[in-house]
Amino acid sequence: MAVTKSSPVPDMVVLSGELWQGFLELVTGQYRVIGPVRRGSEHVFAPIKNPREIDMAYVTTILPPKKVFHQPFQVLFSFDTEEGTLAEAQSGEEKVVWGIHPCDMHAIAILDKVYGVEYPDPYYLRNRENTIIVAKNCTEVGENCFCLSMGTGPALRSGCDLLLTDLGGRYLVEVGTEKGRKLLSGLELVPAPRVVLVEKEKRLSQARQKFKKRMVTQGIQELLEENFRHPIWEELMRECLACGSCTMVCPTCFCYNVVDKIDLDLKTGRRQREWDSCMLLEYAQVALGQNFRRDRDARIKQRMYHKLLYYEPQFGTLGCVGCGRCIGACVKRIDITDVVSRLAESVESDR
Amino acid sequence: MINPFKPEIAVITEVVKETSDTTTYTFRFKEEETRETWGFEAGQFNMITVFGIGEAPISISSGPSDTGFFQHTVRHVGNVTNALAKKKPGDVVGIRGAYGTGWPLHHLYGRNLLIVAGGIGLAPLRPVIREVMGQRDRFKEVEVLYGARTPGDMLFVREFPEWSEYVKLRLAVDMVPSGVKWDHKVGVVTTLFSEMSSQPSNTVVLTCGPEIMMKFVVRGLLHMGFSPDRIYVSMERRMHCGVGKCGRCQIGPRFTCKDGPVFAYEELAALPEEVLGGVGR
Repeated sequence: MAVTKSSPVPDMVVLSGELWQGFLELVTGQYRVIGPVRRGSEHVFAPIKNPREIDMAYVTTILPPKKVFHQPFQVLFSFDTEEGTLAEAQSGEEKVVWGIHPCDMHAIAILDKVYGVEYPDPYYLRNRENTIIVAKNCTEVGENCFCLSMGTGPALRSGCDLLLTDLGGRYLVEVGTEKGRKLLSGLELVPAPRVVLVEKEKRLSQARQKFKKRMVTQGIQELLEENFRHPIWEELMRECLACGSCTMVCPTCFCYNVVDKIDLDLKTGRRQREWDSCMLLEYAQVALGQNFRRDRDARIKQRMYHKLLYYEPQFGTLGCVGCGRCIGACVKRIDITDVVSRLAESVESDR
Repeated sequence: MINPFKPEIAVITEVVKETSDTTTYTFRFKEEETRETWGFEAGQFNMITVFGIGEAPISISSGPSDTGFFQHTVRHVGNVTNALAKKKPGDVVGIRGAYGTGWPLHHLYGRNLLIVAGGIGLAPLRPVIREVMGQRDRFKEVEVLYGARTPGDMLFVREFPEWSEYVKLRLAVDMVPSGVKWDHKVGVVTTLFSEMSSQPSNTVVLTCGPEIMMKFVVRGLLHMGFSPDRIYVSMERRMHCGVGKCGRCQIGPRFTCKDGPVFAYEELAALPEEVLGGVGR
């Protein structure tokens, strides 16, 4: 058996120029990589064939990388209408998701709680296990970003396999797990001096100065509990189109619908789950047409109260990570940070 | 890893028509191992699959002590339940469960019990009645108030004579079609409150029915002095998983599928979202 000799991979390296390119080529050559690529004026997480497609300077993506783990369409199993269920084939392919930002990493940590507890979800967990996550700290801030207010960015503390920080033309690469270290093996690397962390912190602290948007989080739970009948909800009801875009782009939304897809033989088919939205009329509708959230304001409140009030008792965390996607996706420019600020202001002026 | 979304196969062994739109099905798991290990609590539900149509949450209507089989009493009002209406003995369905909270039977021993049910809402309470019949000494006074639209819409009528040997059964219907004989009350189920013998002291209330009915039941009983901490309600919400993942059944921070469907009334009264028409506010 051939033995390839390689030097041990250090915990922290700085890569630039050819070495950085070599790293990208190594990873994209060995794994199925999903990373940020430009599509028109926006970015999406898409399969990478050529490392040049990766746009490391992306600020946000249309859909969060959640789609890799909690997929928009997921076949649960195939069935035969007469015999019953058939076993579902398991996909075992290991992949790398490249360049996930800290807000989206925190969202994945929340989904881990949703899908990992009580009745663990095998589909989600399989996707998690098969994936190596390369995260990237944010040194640039988008116009709708407010992760700083939520304590979910711009720097990531833990949870990824490798962590990248742009130091301006060169990248600090920190090893989070042995799965991550594996990606670097094969390269001739020297450990980075610890002083490079000073440069990293400088970049991150510069990023913290760039936030324009913030969320009032202090006393937010009390604020919401006491204002369930505030006139602002009626105002929003007139604004909101209930299109569900905010929930489709949300990295922590986990709701889904389940449908049976039947084949043309009317005998075999698949049960499939699909992302769903609490903003849509049918979401809470039951047989005979009864709908527990028929009014649009009830649905708007459900989304915002769930994110900012109900996740806490459910999963021990706020349900918003400050990615700002819902603000950007809303055609009526409904802004969750603005709604909370206005609530807080109106309560303040009533005092 | 156990896949909580893959149903077990069950065979329909008996089909009994209850009313024009409601049927009671008796099921038996295909796998012997499942038959021997599977159990449930009174008040829990199963996700029933009609392959190719979909899955729906349905309460279990047999008693937890009835072994070797289980029953569901199904009103044919949606896609899955209408597809179920075409099934005959020998046909198979998928079953996942049992899910959710049951009625707090341990909390009922040594107490009086008042059951108030409307329409199909009697189905998840039948397991409690069967438990009472099986171990009558553990409960004090037991009274069942049951309301339906018409006499022909009443479920389990063939069992009423036997039930009456164990519990006080009082019936009401909203209306009586001409030519139908009816010796009981006409009116909504709460009109039975004036003639019932249940008193607030040491009595636990279990109720299931349309939410509007439960609203007036709870409101009326609170007014009569029944203790809010001894009232339990069984809620209906849309469900697609039964295990707290799909999110559809949420009421405030609670998942009806796993924190319910049986809730202590006070737990719901504390939520910001209006439940039971905001009764108690």
